[in-house]
Amino acid sequence: MIGPRDTEHLVVNIGPQHPSTHGVLRLVAELDGEEIVNVEVSAGYLHRGIEKLGEHRRYHQLGTLMDRGDYLSGIHGELAAALATEQLLEVEVPPKARWLRSLMGEVNRIASHMIWYGTFGLDTGAMGQFLYAMRERETLLDVLESVSGQRMMFNYVRPGGVIADITPDAEQKLRTFLRTIDTYIDEHHALLGGNEIFQKRVRGVGVINREMGLSFGLTGANLRCSGVPYDVRRDKPYAAYGELEFDVPIGSVGDAWDRYLVRMEEMRQAARMIRQCIEGLPEGDVMAKIPKVVRPPAGEVYACVESPRGELGIHLVSDGSDTPYRFHYRAPSLFAVQVLEEILPGTLLADAIMLIGSVDILIGEIDR
Amino acid sequence: MWGKGILTGMRITMRNMLRGPITVKYPYEKLALPERARWAVAPKYDEDGAPKCTACMACVRACPDHILDLEVTTREDKTKHIEHYSYEVGACMMCGLCVEACPFDAIEMSHDYELARMDPAELTYDLLADVDAAPVKRGHPAEAAKRTEPKSAEPAEAPAPDATGEEAADE
Repeated sequence: MIGPRDTEHLVVNIGPQHPSTHGVLRLVAELDGEEIVNVEVSAGYLHRGIEKLGEHRRYHQLGTLMDRGDYLSGIHGELAAALATEQLLEVEVPPKARWLRSLMGEVNRIASHMIWYGTFGLDTGAMGQFLYAMRERETLLDVLESVSGQRMMFNYVRPGGVIADITPDAEQKLRTFLRTIDTYIDEHHALLGGNEIFQKRVRGVGVINREMGLSFGLTGANLRCSGVPYDVRRDKPYAAYGELEFDVPIGSVGDAWDRYLVRMEEMRQAARMIRQCIEGLPEGDVMAKIPKVVRPPAGEVYACVESPRGELGIHLVSDGSDTPYRFHYRAPSLFAVQVLEEILPGTLLADAIMLIGSVDILIGEIDR
Repeated sequence: MWGKGILTGMRITMRNMLRGPITVKYPYEKLALPERARWAVAPKYDEDGAPKCTACMACVRACPDHILDLEVTTREDKTKHIEHYSYEVGACMMCGLCVEACPFDAIEMSHDYELARMDPAELTYDLLADVDAAPVKRGHPAEAAKRTEPKSAEPAEAPAPDATGEEAADE
């Protein structure tokens, strides 16, 4: 019998082309048997230079880039870019546009969380529930397609408002969806969270405590799982979130199980907000009067939104021309991927795959 | 009881097994696209079959990827002739910014989504070629009025070909 300390350490590349690393993430893992001793995250395989491209795009065109950064929640990216531009221009957005932004944002949040839920199951070995998640996502993508014209690259939110009102067809679909979503989320929870094997896998693994979360700059569910109730929607309200009622779910331990519970509860809260948005949608214009080519006065702003992955921020510097002087994109996943180096050592290789899924990273946003 | 969760999961699976299929057999059956669906850009024509495009270049300047190009000759009487209005559908991301920029409602996002071609060269083609541009009628560009433009009196010249156009061309 060879003891664990007598063996040679093995360095293994996980990714960049591996189906379980959520895109082209590369982890250089040093293994002692099946235990991870050290891990190094190597990002950048999906780099497209979005920040630099942004310096050559007009302010109205930034949304097309943001759609391709965090491609699972395009509305939030577009919204951050639009909010930053509006701050520079000091434009007032019509109330209806603000409510539609919140409405579509929450629809997009559930769609994005459904992908997380499905792939998290795949990472833990639960192959069945992925397609159940796609059932909900399909309905929501139909809604988003009906309203914005595209299923993923929406280009819906613009500086000054949104491009179009909600369609009767989309409203009908949303109402049907809202009748069933709570039952379906319970069903999802029963399929994955209620499964004892899954619970054994995720409880007590990958603990992110409060200090670690704050020092790594984590936001979103990854921070809230450790008990820090930071949510941009509540702490720095934008769009219509100041007028909506919702709870910010937090965890206590900070393990993968808490992150799972927080995200499942976020979906319920998002459904609650969609209900309020449909009922309370004000009348009026969806777009403020804004020139086609905007030249904001020189200055710099930071605007942030709560994307499904955390605080998505845009730092925009204007020099008075029609393109930004500097366009910085604060991607919440970039911080989540760094914390992997901290939480993976000491776990098993199979748990590493599960933990990548539990922090809900998106490579398009990390590498941008 | 350990194992109860697994039984619950099996019950859900069994219940869903009885549902009918929700997919369609694609090339034989097609789902209807929503009205706002954005696919390849297509030119629009008036009732006489003449293109509505006035060659004002608004779409060319609005395109983030610089995939639209207008080659125009201006005659002595200031009327314009479109030699080529080229479009690279292979590089188009169907954002719809060109259609929104058009003050004359001369292009639209069509519902043509079957865009695969055997030869990549076919992905670049002319939307319009060798046709006269529609004259800009002061006062009643019928469609322009609908679009609630802040200054639609002479939209062809309104965003004068300033530094913006040149910068775009430089990239």
